[in-house]
Amino acid sequence: MGGLKVLCIAIVLINGQTIGTVAADGPFPDEARRMRSANEFLSPALRAEQADPIRNRGMLWVEQGERLFAQPPPPGGAQSCASCHASPETSMRGVAARLPAVDAESGQLVNLEGRINDCRILRQSLPPLDYETDELLALTAYLTALSIGEPLTVSIDGPASAFYAYGQQLWSERQGQLNVACTQCHDQSVGRKLRGDTISSAVPTGYPAYRLEWQTLGSLHRRLRSCQLGVRAQLFELGSREYLALELYLKSRARRHLIDAPALRR
Amino acid sequence: MPATAQAGETIKIRSAIQHPMITGHTDAGPNVAPRKIIHTFAVAYLGAEVLRVDVAPGIAANPFFAFNLRARSSGDVVFTWIDDTGEVIVETRQLTVT
Amino acid sequence: MGARGMIAVRAAGLGSALVLAAFAVTSAAATPLESFAVAGDAIGTPLGGATGDVSRGRDIALDRGKGNCLICHRVPIEGELFPGDVGPDLSGIGARLTAGQIRLRLVDQSVVTPLTLMPSYYRVDGLRRVGDQFRGKPVLTAQEIEDVVAWLQTLR
Repeated sequence: MGGLKVLCIAIVLINGQTIGTVAADGPFPDEARRMRSANEFLSPALRAEQADPIRNRGMLWVEQGERLFAQPPPPGGAQSCASCHASPETSMRGVAARLPAVDAESGQLVNLEGRINDCRILRQSLPPLDYETDELLALTAYLTALSIGEPLTVSIDGPASAFYAYGQQLWSERQGQLNVACTQCHDQSVGRKLRGDTISSAVPTGYPAYRLEWQTLGSLHRRLRSCQLGVRAQLFELGSREYLALELYLKSRARRHLIDAPALRR
Repeated sequence: MPATAQAGETIKIRSAIQHPMITGHTDAGPNVAPRKIIHTFAVAYLGAEVLRVDVAPGIAANPFFAFNLRARSSGDVVFTWIDDTGEVIVETRQLTVT
Repeated sequence: MGARGMIAVRAAGLGSALVLAAFAVTSAAATPLESFAVAGDAIGTPLGGATGDVSRGRDIALDRGKGNCLICHRVPIEGELFPGDVGPDLSGIGARLTAGQIRLRLVDQSVVTPLTLMPSYYRVDGLRRVGDQFRGKPVLTAQEIEDVVAWLQTLR
């Protein structure tokens, strides 16, 4: 626990240096703040459940993903994931922590789901998987779980900087009929309650996460969509450039926080 | 569950299965969609049933069951889940009793 | 209560109040809004001349699809558990604010406190990315605003 304290102080400093400005659109003050780990908002009982690989239902998808990764491709498929990525426990460790990142060839921001689908199309001759299908959630959960304990290390420099700025803008502008910006709750009202739910710092170390409200595993993009529904906004598509930019922005704010996916969330 | 146990020892077995447990009830009303839940969970040890659960629609998705079993002699522990579509999922684990 | 700044009137808000009134009058929304005038930090007269109903107002305030006040506010109603605490406790609000002041805070709290988290319940302009089914419509109708004003007035 002593280690945690040191870690949190370090994060405030990082935020102060790199995210100390306010987006052009956002009038909301962006005071330096401590990003509170999502686990701080879980009850001790839920934290224990998350740590238990049998009771954490997200592990069902991790097991499924492990099988999918290793199994021979279905008819028509060129090769399995494991044909290229041998010994995934070591070769794929840390990959999830670095994404989303800008793809050098396309110049586009790509997250883990996008990387998996790129491999399916380009290397495996398989159709891409839709967001929130058990297969894509399973592969994402498995590969993210291989980075459990690794700190988020996304880059926001160079080609990523424009995506980062866009994510920050989306984060700080009001939207929807209820006219609320993400930052108003998840920066300025952290620890306060909306009904019985405590507002968190939006540290996305646990996704894909098993949300009790969903009773299934879900992507970070699905979670972002939940808030957009809440403020009665037009929804972005899962996997859209808007959600990708927000994913980069959130993961950059949470740099040095450790991956704990698949996590349990309220 | 542990792979080995001593004769007479009580072991703890925990199981979870991926299943949406669709009750058929939605915000639109009761029974608006076909029900698809696991209605039966059964466990056999040494060829005899030791546990049977009649599962109701109130049980959450991805049901988790934990129970105790007294080890007698080496043999299979067979887990069976049956859902409304008639799908039967069977998992077998070997228990070695010393 | 005042410590959260929800009730404090900011001088800066008054300028935009006049702009808001002008917006409302000229709104080309699908559901035209009733015009109203902001005077100081209040809207002195009922929207559309409607008469509020206390009991209906209470129902609208508690309805999660309408006022949904409890998502942010505690209210003095027995048995209403797990209120939010993002906004101030509404106990005694009827003694602290006039009907006109409450009306403006429901219509558009951001006139009073520009950075507020509270939605503007009677506004269709100047919003971004409103969901299709909600576009051009205020969160509450003029009658519903008056009902909630009437109920909040009883919390003394």
